[in-house]
Amino acid sequence: MSSYSELIKNFERVRSYMREFYVYGLKSREEYDKKSARSYDDERRRLESWLGDHMGFVRTAEGKSVFISIDSRSSFRNPLYKAWKSKSFTDGDITLHFILMDLLQDGQPHLLAQLMEGVDARLAEFEDPMVFDESTVRKKLKEYCALGLVESTRSGKRSLYRKTELWLEEESWRDAVHFFSEVAPCGVIGSFIEDRWVKKGAHFGFKHHYITSAMDSDVLALLFLAMQKHCAVTVTCDSRHLRTQERLVPLRVLIGVQNGRQHLVAYHTKTDSFRAYRIDYLSEVVLEQTVPRFEELRAELAALRPGMWGVSMPKDRYDRQSTERVEMILRVEQGEEHIVSRLEREKRVGLVERLDQHRYRFTAEVYDAGEMIPWLRTFICRIEDIRFSNSLTERRFKKDIEQMYRLYGIGGEQEDARKEAERDI
Amino acid sequence: MPERRQNVIFNEIHSAYYSAVSKIISRILEGGASEEDLRRIVAENAFGESGSTLLPALTRGKWQLVHPDLSTPVKNPPQLPLTLIEKQWLKALFLDPRIRLFSVEPTGLEGVEPLFTPEDYLIYDRYGDGDRYEDEGYIARFRTVLSAMEQGDGLQIEMIDRRGRTVCFCCMPKRLEYSERDDKFRLITQGSRFYKTVNLGRMVNCRTVERALPQEQETPPVYRTLTLHILKERNTPERCLLHFAHFEKRAERQEDGSLVVHLRYDVDEEPEMVIRVLSFGPLVEVLAPQDFRNLIAERLKKQKSCGLF
Repeated sequence: MSSYSELIKNFERVRSYMREFYVYGLKSREEYDKKSARSYDDERRRLESWLGDHMGFVRTAEGKSVFISIDSRSSFRNPLYKAWKSKSFTDGDITLHFILMDLLQDGQPHLLAQLMEGVDARLAEFEDPMVFDESTVRKKLKEYCALGLVESTRSGKRSLYRKTELWLEEESWRDAVHFFSEVAPCGVIGSFIEDRWVKKGAHFGFKHHYITSAMDSDVLALLFLAMQKHCAVTVTCDSRHLRTQERLVPLRVLIGVQNGRQHLVAYHTKTDSFRAYRIDYLSEVVLEQTVPRFEELRAELAALRPGMWGVSMPKDRYDRQSTERVEMILRVEQGEEHIVSRLEREKRVGLVERLDQHRYRFTAEVYDAGEMIPWLRTFICRIEDIRFSNSLTERRFKKDIEQMYRLYGIGGEQEDARKEAERDI
Repeated sequence: MPERRQNVIFNEIHSAYYSAVSKIISRILEGGASEEDLRRIVAENAFGESGSTLLPALTRGKWQLVHPDLSTPVKNPPQLPLTLIEKQWLKALFLDPRIRLFSVEPTGLEGVEPLFTPEDYLIYDRYGDGDRYEDEGYIARFRTVLSAMEQGDGLQIEMIDRRGRTVCFCCMPKRLEYSERDDKFRLITQGSRFYKTVNLGRMVNCRTVERALPQEQETPPVYRTLTLHILKERNTPERCLLHFAHFEKRAERQEDGSLVVHLRYDVDEEPEMVIRVLSFGPLVEVLAPQDFRNLIAERLKKQKSCGLF
């Protein structure tokens, strides 16, 4: 008898499967070891159940690979949020939840004994009624107090429980909650709010919309709570080959809307340095003690900002001067003013200057010029000159372009052969 | 002491099953609920296989919330109050300038700590010429558009076009599309022959019109499939697949560890796709379509003529 259920107890395993299927979609069942093959089948079936039409598969020599394919521009709500709505529970949990919430609906304070009586009375209508002991009900109420659903006050030695006020006008909030549930950090929380309402068509669509970060919502929320309390955290970090436990002081989250990545910038206690960690590689966040010099560290990090193109920082936090210079001269023909607009809006920490009617200079002083290379390449076809103070980076940039010429047969033997063929014709 | 916090996000109170049960109880309390109604609610609110587990558990006494005759011991339609993390998230929205686009107030959130503040996160690669959310005129136009969509009204729009001319036209607003990279809204319209999309930042006036406009079918985008060869070097497969994660795509691993990826893109976005592919340099090669490959080759030829490399 299969013990399969659509619901799960632990999110971490499904998080890694979702990343595997959504971002990569390459690994076949045969590539998992025998022990995890059953788990693979269960996770695949769950994801199919949650994501339906977005799942697909391809058969290759290595076997069948499952992938999740979503065009986020035509999905007005992030489908990956469904995974966060799959937490398992017991028969008692769900029964007690709806009965307790119903008993507390009047907004009045209730004693535990009154609630116990109420629960028994409601369930007495069933043939074989469930019985909840005092400690179970108290524990559930305590849990709901921590979540903010219930407030507890004291009356002498006894606790009184009252449901917190329901608050949010659906009509005025619907659009705001939908919009921010897609664009604000931890947007899945907005999706939980929307679930209380009757489903309606959406007024918003989204372009250049990375939905992958949905899978990291819990880690991100805990990092924000740590920052709010100025706490250090212990966190598990997975890199490609290594899993380590680190003690960090989370200082800021850096979000890339052009590459779909989120990094935590933190102070690494052991090495006395600032480091950036991919949030999708972090798990098991535990809040530790408060850090008295939190604000001081944050101010120090803010001072590095003018030299950061992306997330790279100086290796030595005391050496803020170790920047690399990049200078690029672009040719802009008449009618290509959009290129100048592009430079202006995409320059980040760089500087744009007009040299003459058709030439513009972009300069930047950054900690890692290598981070800029993908952006600099987008100007291929108009780069008149480019110089890097880091000669290795410069060599790599130029070598890459030469390799592209070869790939596309520009100016090399292939093109000569083509020209010759054209002449013959 | 280390603090192991209760899981605030992955919690059963937010589960699709709880949400479906809540709506089922409400429907039963309205009176006259049928099993078909219940099945529909499960299909709309839970998952693909939920019908076979949720309904039997609910109606056969496993969860003691609904009797077999579809009555319930619950007396009131369930209402889940906002949790603390939900209030903290809502409070954080009031630190975002875009919240002013909506007619909402932080009433009831007094004394709640925001989940995050602008000091806690930074979008570092957003374009610098986003829409002006602090502009009262922009806010008013945004709200007019939103209200017209809600009411099903038409709009009369006056805007500055790309050539700097002021144009005026009527349309039916279909939806607002937001780009996180551009930090701009654009309105997708129907009923206007020439203006299918309008950047909100270009609008100068906007008012609702009662006259009904033809609601023709939205023209679906024209898609093409781009086939890329991604080399194994410099962690490119990971970077590239994540970069193109928001497209419909399919990847195949080659014997040498490189990848061939097929991704579906909107033809209108082709110039943008060209520069996105260029950004990967020689590590990503366009295999097909040939005319897309030619676009890359043209840029390289032009670059070569600059005489630099």
